[in-house]
Amino acid sequence: MAATLVVSSRGWGRLQQILAAVLWRRGYSSQQDQVSHKVDLPIEMENPYKEPPKRCVLCGINVDYKNVQLLSQFVSPYTGRIYGRHITGLCGKKQKEISKAIKRAHVIGFMPVVYKDPTFLNDPKICDIRHPE
Amino acid sequence: MPRYELALILKAMQRPEMASALKRTIEALMERGAVVRNLENLGERSLPYRISKHNQDHRRGGYFLVDFDGPPTIVSTMMDHLGRDIDVIRPTFLKHPVSKTEECSGIIPVNYEDKLYTKKK
Repeated sequence: MAATLVVSSRGWGRLQQILAAVLWRRGYSSQQDQVSHKVDLPIEMENPYKEPPKRCVLCGINVDYKNVQLLSQFVSPYTGRIYGRHITGLCGKKQKEISKAIKRAHVIGFMPVVYKDPTFLNDPKICDIRHPE
Repeated sequence: MPRYELALILKAMQRPEMASALKRTIEALMERGAVVRNLENLGERSLPYRISKHNQDHRRGGYFLVDFDGPPTIVSTMMDHLGRDIDVIRPTFLKHPVSKTEECSGIIPVNYEDKLYTKKK
């Protein structure tokens, strides 16, 4: 009885092997099958829907201490104080350039210090203190 | 020789006097070895604030811009000379501004989270 049982267990194992080979053939796939799966993966490329980087108002404009009109746009009409970065919305470089140019113009005698030149009061408003963005 | 710019504010005078003052200034510059490139007149306008110079109160002035190449030693000597000239209200020597309109790459968004935590070096 024991011998017959042993034979059947061996036979059952052999049956399992045959079944595996027939039904689950994926596990034993050849080289060609593996390559065809890789074609389905997404192609590496830069984001085509990338937005161009946001530019500040003065991007590409040369800032000079001589054009007092441009400098006066970033100055308060009541006190003549220079507006901060959160109000003007300029990038770091341009804010620094404007600030330096305004202070230079003050010293040289091109631009008034404690008020905004009245001739430039009706200029287009770049920095509105009520809606800083 | 480096390139300088002289932002000159002269007293508001009649045309011939203004011309003679300018001539004096430029001759003084050339004496000290400067090569004057350009002289611009920015017009006669009222000063942004009252300037008192040489025992006089000025409210109007003639703005001029002198573009020149000169040795660096010229600055101190010329400031001395112009300080003694009665017709000059405010002289300022500046380095000639290099107009840099490089391609501004726009505002690069800063990652504030990274800045918040100190990185372990």
